[in-house]
Order: sequence, then C-alpha cells, then structure tokens
Amino acid sequence: MGAFDPLITYEKGTYIETDTGNKVSRKAVVTGAQNIILGGKSVIQTGAILRGDLQRAQAGHHVVISMGRYCLVGEGTVIRPPGKMYKGAFTFYPVKISDFVHIGPNCIVEAAQIGGGVEIGEGSIIFSSVSGSSAKGVMIRGKFVIIKDLAVIRPGTVIPEATVVPSMSIWEGNPGRIVGTLPETYQDTVEARCKSIYQRFRAVTST
Amino acid sequence: MADTTVLYHCPHLDPPHGPLPPELLSSSASLHALPELYFCEECDAVRCNLCVGVEVASYFCPSCLFDVPSANVRADKNRCARSCFSCPQCSSSLQVQAADPPTGEVSSSSGTGPFLLICPGCKWSSREVGWEFEKSSGLAQQLARVHSAAEVVQSEFDSLKDHLETYLTASAPTPAPTSRTRHPTRHISHLTQMAAKALHREIPGMAAASARTRGGRNAVKSAEDRVGWDEMKEYEAKGRCAGLEVDKAVELEELREGEWAGAVAGIEQTWAKSWDGDRRTKALLPQRIPLQTKLTKRCPAPTCRHLLIQPDSKSTRMKIKMVAANYLPAVEIGRRRRRIVPGDASEVPAEDVERRRRERRKTRGAKEEDEVMTDPLRPGEVYYFQLALTNPLYDPIQIRLTHAHAKSSAHTIQNDNAVIHIVTPHFTINALKDAWAYDEEEDEEEADFEGTEASEEATGSIATGSGTGSGTVGRKGARMSLLAGGSVRDNGKERRDGVERKGNVSKVGVEVEVSPQARGLIEFDIEVRYTYRSDEGEEKADEDVGVKDASGAGAGAQGGAEGYKTFTFWVRVNAGKVEPVLVK
Repeated sequence: MGAFDPLITYEKGTYIETDTGNKVSRKAVVTGAQNIILGGKSVIQTGAILRGDLQRAQAGHHVVISMGRYCLVGEGTVIRPPGKMYKGAFTFYPVKISDFVHIGPNCIVEAAQIGGGVEIGEGSIIFSSVSGSSAKGVMIRGKFVIIKDLAVIRPGTVIPEATVVPSMSIWEGNPGRIVGTLPETYQDTVEARCKSIYQRFRAVTST
Repeated sequence: MADTTVLYHCPHLDPPHGPLPPELLSSSASLHALPELYFCEECDAVRCNLCVGVEVASYFCPSCLFDVPSANVRADKNRCARSCFSCPQCSSSLQVQAADPPTGEVSSSSGTGPFLLICPGCKWSSREVGWEFEKSSGLAQQLARVHSAAEVVQSEFDSLKDHLETYLTASAPTPAPTSRTRHPTRHISHLTQMAAKALHREIPGMAAASARTRGGRNAVKSAEDRVGWDEMKEYEAKGRCAGLEVDKAVELEELREGEWAGAVAGIEQTWAKSWDGDRRTKALLPQRIPLQTKLTKRCPAPTCRHLLIQPDSKSTRMKIKMVAANYLPAVEIGRRRRRIVPGDASEVPAEDVERRRRERRKTRGAKEEDEVMTDPLRPGEVYYFQLALTNPLYDPIQIRLTHAHAKSSAHTIQNDNAVIHIVTPHFTINALKDAWAYDEEEDEEEADFEGTEASEEATGSIATGSGTGSGTVGRKGARMSLLAGGSVRDNGKERRDGVERKGNVSKVGVEVEVSPQARGLIEFDIEVRYTYRSDEGEEKADEDVGVKDASGAGAGAQGGAEGYKTFTFWVRVNAGKVEPVLVK
C-alpha cells in the first residue's frame, strides 16, 4: 500500500534530528524538555506545543509526556498533561502516548493515555495542504481521557472528560461517540502507514 | 474533489465471477476495500463482511471495558450491569461524583456519599431526576433496588416472559431441515427458522374474528389446520395500559404551557427508549451503556465453515486472521498525466478507437503533464495513469490484467464515459522480502526473476501476450530485445517497457480516454489473474511468519504444472470524476 505516496519534504535545517531519529521542528514549542521522552522516529511538526513544564506539584523529577516510536504531532497541536485537585492541592498527571500514534493538526490533547496505533484527526496528516486543515482540529477537551490501542478519532471530534475509548472503535461528533468499528487488518495498515510517513518525511535543501 | 479508489469484488457464495458492470448501481454491493476482505484458504475464495458467518466471541462494556460473561448478558439485558450510564441529554458516559466534594476538589469518586452521576460533556446531573446513591460502586444494582423505574411495566414484562419461556422450552428447536445449502451458518438458520415459524403462526385475535364472521365450518377447518403447530395458551395481561398513562395529562399540560425549545426530547434522545415514554426532556433518565461485542467470523460455505477471524478477548491481536490483504496483490492507482495534444485532437473519427490509439502511439513524443489526482477529469482528454500492484507473497508472481466484461478486445474497456486501454497486460512482481533485503540482494532478485519466467515458459501454463505488442512475459525473444533496448535501472528502481519495478511493487500504465460527453465517475472493472508458486508438498524453512500458506486446493486455482497456481479476482478502479470544462 502507499505505492504512490509522495515525499513529505521540509527545508533542511528547519527540523532538528536526534540520535534516535526524532525530527522536531525548530518552530515547535517544547517546554520542560527534560520531562519529555520521545521513543524515536517521531515527528513533532511546526507550531506544535508540548507542555513538559507542567509537572507534578511534588518536588523531584517527573516524566510529563512520554511518547513511543513512529508518532507524529501535527502542526499547531497542543499536548498538555491533565491536572486536577487531589487532596487539596492542584497537580498534573503524566501523558502516556504509545507507538504509532498520529495526532493531526490543531488538536488539543489532554488525554491521560493514548494506546498504540491511534489516529486522531483523519486526513490532517497531509503536510503540504495549506488551507482547510484548520477545520480538522480534534479536541480531546477532556482531561484523563483513556484511548486504548487501535482507535480512530475523526476530525473535529470533542471527547468529554475521562471518557474511555475502546480498541477498534471509530469516534466522531461533539460530544464524541462510537460511530463504527475498524477492520481486523487495521493494526497492519496503521503500522505500515506510520512507518511510511516517517520514511517519506525528508529534508531538502532549497535551491 | 473526488478520491480515486480501487475496490475488490467478492462473489459471495457463488462460483468466482466478475462483478456486474459499473453502470449498474446494484453492483456496488459486492465491492469492498481490500483491508475489509477475508480469504478462506480451504475454499480458495474471497469473503466479505456481508457473507461471513458471525458469532459473538465475547461481550464487553465500551466504558469500563469489563468483559461480561456471556451467561450474564441476557439477564443484564445487553447493557452494562456495573456503574456505566449514558447521559440522557448528550449520550456521553456519566461520571460518579460525590454530592458534596471535599473543598476544592472538582471530580472525585472517593469521599463520602451521597453520590451523583454527572455528565462531563453537558454538566447534566442525576439530581435533576432525583437519583442519589449511597455508594460509588455497583450503581446499577443500587438503582434496581431503589428506583425500579416502572414496576407495573416490569412485572407485566416478567410475567409475559415467563409465559413465553414455558413455550420456548417446551418446543425445543428441532434441528434445521436437511436442505440447508444456502443458509450461511447454523446460528442464522436457526434464527430464520424461528422467524418463519413466528410469521406463519395464526394470531389468536384474528382467528377468533375470522371464525365469528365466516361461521362454524371455517373455524373447524382452521382448528384442523393447526394440528402440529405450536400450541400456545392465551396470555392474560395483568394490568391495563390505560393505568400507566395517569400523568399524561400533566405532561401534556406542561408541554402546552412551557417554552417549546428544549422542553420536548428530540428523536435521538428517545430513539432507544420505550414507545410510550415521557416526551419531556427533563423526564429522561440515564440508560445503562449497551455492551459491545468481539466477533468470530467464519467462512460461509456450508461445507467449509472454517474460522477466518478469531479475536483474543484479552488484547487487540487476533488468534486467527485470514485476511485478503495477505493473499491478493494490492492494487492502487496513481500518477496521473494528461496528454497535451499540440493540434486538434478530433481529426480522427470518433468511432475508430483502435485507430486513434495507434495514431497516438505514433506521436509518442507528445507532451504529458503531471496532474494532481484529486483534480476533476476533463471530458475529451486522454490521461495516463499508473496501476501499482504490491505482492504480499514471499514468491514472485505473474500478473495478467484483462477487461472484466469481455465484449470487444480483452485489453480495451469501452463504456459510455471512457475508453480504457491496459497498456501492459502481462508482467511479473518480485517477491516480498524484509525491508533490509532489498538493497543487498538486488542481483539475486534479478536472477530469481529470470528463473521464474524461464520455467513459466517451459510449462506453458500462462497464455502469452495476445498481440498488443506490449505483453512480453513468456516470450524470451521479445524479452531479450527489450533488454537490449535498454532497461534503465537506478536507485533500486527498474523500468522495462512500461513496467516499473521497485521491491515487491510493479507499476504499469493505463490509458484512459475520456469521451467528450462523459459525466460522473470514470469507473472500470479489471480482471486480475495472478500465478504463484504453491508450496504444496514443499517444505519451506522460512515459514514462521504464518502470513503466507498458499496451499489452496479449491475452485479458483487452476491445476498448473508442478506447483503453479492461478487465482483470479476482480477490481473496480475509480479513476476520478469528470467535470465539464467551464466556458468563459
């Protein structure tokens, strides 16, 4: 699959490539980088915001955002840890994102857990498209949302707080609800697609 | 904006045949995307979601993810019997919260009671309907104890159920009759049998009425007719439905007086509830969340019934996964180019398709322009597409593309909208290998490839090219000349007479001539035949992947000479939508 997929290019120097193959845009806002773990081969695109500085109220070092391999955070997407009052004090809780998770542009994610092979915001991983992508934002407004492995959150979905998204489900709407089931082959499909997108995400030197 | 798609045809239980032509709308029912299809090795056939036999493997609640034992499901009325409720207003799942949370704490299921259900989506609270709970767990049981919604209805329902259950157990379902050839599964056939019984049963009230009007003779006859039928006592209702409607007047009054907007529940909110419920929005109650299922899928052929899908109740993995994507080559369409004709295109008479094509072939040097796939096609233009076929097998395969509805030429499809010509009907695809193997073993791969073709020629199991001049596989001489003519290879890509190979993907050209009066979608059906080496009786050491085991011994496979098998399938290619050129 994907025999005709075009290269996704960025201008050389606009992305920082790490030893483990992560590609992080220089224009992405990454705060509290020491609290963020990227598993490798993940792409953080321009304008994405990762709030690693919002850590637990208790003293000490805490991982705030952990992300697996072959993930993608789209343009303008905000990932921040969920927080709530606990025993009289406000505290943040970590965000765990597994492998093969694609979060489209302009999403707001405050989930507690996102399982492997989850796609958030369909169609929004077309990097070259200029217009129309802003309407495709997905809002996981809810804090502490748990998304299990293999799920699709359609563009523009709003998922309320503490919702559980089961495996193999498709969600849509405001408030989001289950609108369908994924085919049994979805795991292979999504893993192949995530790898392909990473491999096609290449630097070019502008002439 | 139109998306191009390639859909695969599932012949359901019929012997393999092509789909109905795209002009017939009814043909769409048997076309599916490749990832949605299954493949039965025993029958050597494609199966789809519409024809597989489905059994429930396990039940789970989509909210708390609890695996409900199937013994409890019926008693729980297919809904979660723990603490999962959906919001009556917006259908989100409700959360348990302490009614008086400790200072500052917003959401907590700890603390002390009483507890409420709060909707995180729309802030609806169960206080509005007067629901409060002592404990924060097992809300459904607490609710069943305290607020057993309509006791009259429930007792009526229970007694009716008891009444029917005695009947059901008394007449245990007899095994299905012998002629069960077309019933997909035992499970379904049992259901249809029950339904048929229910439909043929005489309705007691009707029988009485007809007996009264038509006199005694008929009544006796009908009684005779009923011999051998399931005899059922008449059910005496305990209460009368009129008793339940006491507060309807109040409700009506309120609806009349109150503000209209939002006071009456919408159809979505009342859809899954009882018929004669309260129509006021504020009277809606939270519902327990319906359970979801994991399904086992079986081959529908009555003689086969092999498992195609068996889910694992613990994880998202499948214990058995027989999907078509592991057997059939994936077909994709892309790389659209428009032919730019310098002069007037309509100099050749419109009827003579072949001649026009030859004419174009002569002026091969004409310019072609790459286009975006999503742009609409223009009537009267000639487009070149590429079809990419990806081999999922660990052996090289041979492909033959033909027109599915063979009317005229086998390689030219002509319908109202367009003339489609398959430029390269015969070609091969290299074997699937691990990603790292491609770079290293390029030469070996090449050798592999020659080997297959040579043996192919020797066995003669493949029909040779039918004289279009571009079908080359199997003719060594032609191939040699082509090689001499310069096959360009660079960077892992290989081009040889219109076939572009890279790894396990081969790309071939398709010429689409959109007719001047074309409207709507350009769709055409292609018959794809592929020949693979079956490892029947052959030991393969690297078979640990379990993806490929082409030991099909069934209808679709032609018994070729030693270990070669052919499988035929049909795809419908949607090349895009035609939109007329806007005249300024």
